[in-house]
Amino acid sequence: MSAVHLQEDEFRARLDAGLWWKIFRRALHLRRYLVPLFIAAVVLAACDAAFAHVTRWVIDGVMRDGVNAAFTRYIAVYAGLTLTLCTGVWIFIEMAGNIANRLAHDIRREGFDRLQQLEFAFFDTRPVGWLITRLTSDCDRLARIIAWGFLDIVWGVTYLLMIAVSLLVMNWRLGLIVLAVVPPLAIVSRLFQRRMLLSAREIRKHNSQITAAFNESIQGVRTTKTFVRERENLGEFEHRSEKMFDAAVLNARQNAMYFPIVTTLGSAAAGIALWQGGWLAINEALTLGTLVAFINFAGQFFQPINQLALKLTEMQGAQAAGERVMGLLATEPAIKDSAVVQDRIAAVRASGDATQALDGQDPEIETVEFNDVSFRYATGPAVLSNFNLTVRAGETIALVGPSGGGKSTIVSLACRFYEPTSGSIRINGVDYRERSLAWLQSQLGIVLQTPHLFKGTVRENIRYGRLEATDAEVEAAARRVNAHEFIMRLEQGYDTPVGEGGNRLSSGQRQLLSFARALLADPQIFIMDEATSSIDTETEQLIQEGLEAIFAGRISFVIAHRLSTIRRADRILVITGGRIEECGTHAELIRRRGHYHELYTSQFRREREEAVLEQSGS
Amino acid sequence: MTSQFQSLWRLLRGHRLRYGLALGCLLLATLLNYGVPLVGTVTIDYAVAGKTVDDSTPWLIKLFLSIFGGPEHLRAALWLAPVAMLGLSLIGGVCSYLKGWLVSLASDGIARRLKNELYDHLNRLPARYHDRTDTGDLVQRCTSDVETTRQFLASQLMEIGNALVLAGVAVPLLLTLSPSMTAVSFALIPPLVGYGYFYFRRVKHVFRQVDEAEGALTAVIQGNLTGIRVVRAFARQDFEREKFAGPNANYRDRSLRLLRLLSWYWSVSDLVALSQLGLTLMVGAHWVTTGEITVGVLFAFLSYLAILLWPVRQMGRVLTDLGKTSIALGRIGEILAVEREPEVNVGSNEPPPAAFTGTIAVRNLRFSHGGDLAALNGLSFEVAPGETLAVLGPSGSGKSTLMHLLLRLYDYTEGEIFFDGRELRTLPRTWIRAQAGVVMQEPFLFSRTLKENLRFGRGDAPDHEIEEAARVACIHDTITTFEQGYDTLIGERGITLSGGQRQRVAIARAILKRPPLLVLDDALSAVDGETESLILDALRQRRGRATTLVIAHRLSTLAQADRVLVLDHGRIIQSGRHAELIKEPGMYRRLWEIQTNVEAELLSATEAKLPVSPAGQP
Repeated sequence: MSAVHLQEDEFRARLDAGLWWKIFRRALHLRRYLVPLFIAAVVLAACDAAFAHVTRWVIDGVMRDGVNAAFTRYIAVYAGLTLTLCTGVWIFIEMAGNIANRLAHDIRREGFDRLQQLEFAFFDTRPVGWLITRLTSDCDRLARIIAWGFLDIVWGVTYLLMIAVSLLVMNWRLGLIVLAVVPPLAIVSRLFQRRMLLSAREIRKHNSQITAAFNESIQGVRTTKTFVRERENLGEFEHRSEKMFDAAVLNARQNAMYFPIVTTLGSAAAGIALWQGGWLAINEALTLGTLVAFINFAGQFFQPINQLALKLTEMQGAQAAGERVMGLLATEPAIKDSAVVQDRIAAVRASGDATQALDGQDPEIETVEFNDVSFRYATGPAVLSNFNLTVRAGETIALVGPSGGGKSTIVSLACRFYEPTSGSIRINGVDYRERSLAWLQSQLGIVLQTPHLFKGTVRENIRYGRLEATDAEVEAAARRVNAHEFIMRLEQGYDTPVGEGGNRLSSGQRQLLSFARALLADPQIFIMDEATSSIDTETEQLIQEGLEAIFAGRISFVIAHRLSTIRRADRILVITGGRIEECGTHAELIRRRGHYHELYTSQFRREREEAVLEQSGS
Repeated sequence: MTSQFQSLWRLLRGHRLRYGLALGCLLLATLLNYGVPLVGTVTIDYAVAGKTVDDSTPWLIKLFLSIFGGPEHLRAALWLAPVAMLGLSLIGGVCSYLKGWLVSLASDGIARRLKNELYDHLNRLPARYHDRTDTGDLVQRCTSDVETTRQFLASQLMEIGNALVLAGVAVPLLLTLSPSMTAVSFALIPPLVGYGYFYFRRVKHVFRQVDEAEGALTAVIQGNLTGIRVVRAFARQDFEREKFAGPNANYRDRSLRLLRLLSWYWSVSDLVALSQLGLTLMVGAHWVTTGEITVGVLFAFLSYLAILLWPVRQMGRVLTDLGKTSIALGRIGEILAVEREPEVNVGSNEPPPAAFTGTIAVRNLRFSHGGDLAALNGLSFEVAPGETLAVLGPSGSGKSTLMHLLLRLYDYTEGEIFFDGRELRTLPRTWIRAQAGVVMQEPFLFSRTLKENLRFGRGDAPDHEIEEAARVACIHDTITTFEQGYDTLIGERGITLSGGQRQRVAIARAILKRPPLLVLDDALSAVDGETESLILDALRQRRGRATTLVIAHRLSTLAQADRVLVLDHGRIIQSGRHAELIKEPGMYRRLWEIQTNVEAELLSATEAKLPVSPAGQP
């Protein structure tokens, strides 16, 4: 678990230009938005700077010509400038928005795609919530920074240059004096932006803790009451809300300090311009209009500098997110078809031969063999060591034993969700790494302990087993596993929505649906991890009959808990510590009076006790 | 409207002075900031352009001039202008900083108070309230709605103050400067605010659509990732990619649509704002030529517009958000209006007993309309100090209801319960709960360290007692295998415990409390038989300390109790010692028979290869 840093957002002091270039490169193909955005940014900066010049021009004009000043020209130029600026604004929002949303869309698609290929080991160390954040808010955030950051940097730099050139051209001495305000302004902006980002993050951190505290206290309210902990809980909560309060006030104070400081710096620049420019104007070395323009420009530095500082800080803050998303895109799946297999698949596709499996080999699975298979998860201890097993078509293998003994691992290896650390697994004598992954996995039917259904209707969920199945086929599959009856009793029959993860159905019903789904897929290998939770007798009966339909003619691996399932198996393997401890039929193992016998009797007793209670209850 | 104002006024209690001071600071800051351009006006007109003071000179200008010692003095000491500008900015900045600080202290303080109040209130509401309400909704109200309120208090309220200061102080001052210029400069302000207001009201649903599209996208990703095993099991990667493509594109397109609307908003809004500036510039310049105003005054108005336009453009948005606040406040009020659990139902002058011996008497106890809880139809029984009473019964028989009533989590409708002869309704709930150590079937552990969880019932328990309790609950050895032992974090950010481990931690937590009464509500259901016996043995060693009530299913547990009650449909159908009950026909005996017959039955079934129905009759 510790392999991945689940920490949300660390702030990187050093800006990794290479990383941002890598992300920006993905936006390069959006040229039809990028080029207009660039032009709009430059035009906008020019317009912003031009307004002070127009003011200067107008004031000088009226001072010189009085009532005869060329007002129509002034108005025409001003109107033209205004329209250009507004168009520029429209274009830049449109273009930057397109880039941001399209880039986010593309990165998200690529990330999703990658997740569909990565092996299970990847998911073992990363919680679902963590991955979702990468694909949703992280993608949006990075794309936004790229689009708006590009705009702000182009606009900000151009604007600053325009102001500087204007000042120097109008009067270079005075210009240099006024420009002196830029360095302190830049330093102050960077300093405050960084602090404000960090304190805002602190608020968010406390806020999510407070949300968690609310959540927990509501869910655990009965525990709190029975332990009479109300007062202590409040004390702890007050401590948290106090911390959030402190963080919020700190952030507000930084904000409240930042803007007056930059305004004061602006005033200082304007004041210097007024003072020095005033002298020049008194001595008629400077026109009144130019003086006003100087003062105006002096107040304009803030905007571009603030934006540049903001974007740089945002980039620093989002760098960790950028690394994670780019890291995801760059992760190569560890389990995939070898080059040889890929060539074969291409050859078969070209020939169009439908009688072969998609990798041009035997489409029927006769045997599955584990040959000296050992396995460990990442750097963990060995879960399986030198495991050997041969299963023939039509056989049902029940795996029983304590949790953590390696039952699930055996099944996952058979499905090639993981590959053996050493040894090999062979299908019809051929190492399955020489077969197509997609072919093998399309031959699987899997029913998990907590059967997962997707949000959607009953019909859609069954059809997941074979997408092109007709309604009649879906129904037939449901009938064969005894699911039809209960489905018809649902409000909308096959069109009943099952809810998030199937939560509107009971666990027994979910199991029956997942049987139907597996049956419809007509897999050659059937895998079941049986639920441990007790199911009422009637459903139990239905499930057993449903299993009958599925087991017939397939290789089945069942991690079995219910006696009825265990007894039905052709062979029972008792797995402990990654080895087969006992192996045989039910009768053989009972007679041996070993581990299986013990396991069986306690389970038998438990099932009987439950049955007695159930009868009295009804 | 008046009631809304009243509730707002109530909300501000304890912080009204801060808001008053903040408003004063805001007023001062506005005045000072408006003074900065006036320094420019005075300097340009009287020091540079050489205008002279006459009767038509506005008094504000005269005031500034007199501060500078008259036009001549200012012309000679032009450095006074930048010093004045800097001074005004600086003091104005300090005022605005103080305003920000005060407002944050007040708004974040109120938010903190609201959160604390809500937290405590939720902990003290009756269990029945929590049965009916959805945790997610409550958390939403406690966090998002409080945040909406905070934002209103922090920014919107001050924006309103800002508008008041502007209308009440700034505009009158500008009017003394030049009434006609003021009229021209504010001509387009109302339409600008109105445009923003109506615009944001119109596009509200588009914002919502984007949120919904994002939600749908997240749901698809979540569905895919939580079901990734099913996806792979059926090799449905392509299907999933397709399923993802729709919402991904939809989210992009919805966002783009919103963006299109925003690009129109901002460009049109820019157009209006720039038109306002242009109007002021052109009309002002014209009036400069006619002598109606001076260049300095024109400069002042242009500067004011630069300060003013941005907040004015935000105002429309602020106004649309006002509605949200009153809804949020209403939702918070709904929670706070619910009455808390009363400490004592029937007033009694007698203080609760100093020590509870563990004598319990239940007389004709009835309970109905319990929602999820089963009804009780008249229970009567007694428990002696130190006795272990086991309760058996099918689900829905009322076992858990009984436990909940004993702990006063719910109020019984009829009948009486006595602790040491005192009726529970006359005793404080907290006292009753303090007497009991409770373990539920699905115990709730808090996401903190194991040690902190164990100390939940007794915060000052020394470490050696914690360990002892953990040993009794057979969890000490498990805890020591964790890297951080008792300091291991549980829950989302730490380790996940299995069901049995959680139950054992909860037992240790209850024991550590050293209660006179121990209540185990099916608390060992996920613990294996062997460990269960160990725990029960250890508990028995402690007998004499606690009266114990056990809800259990397993015969091994029941057999160790001093007495067993068999419940069905809210009634006691059998009661007595183990030895007595196995002689009576009924549920208890049937359970006992399974235990004794299972061996023989099993062997005969295996030998004869008879199918054994798991629900078979004994």
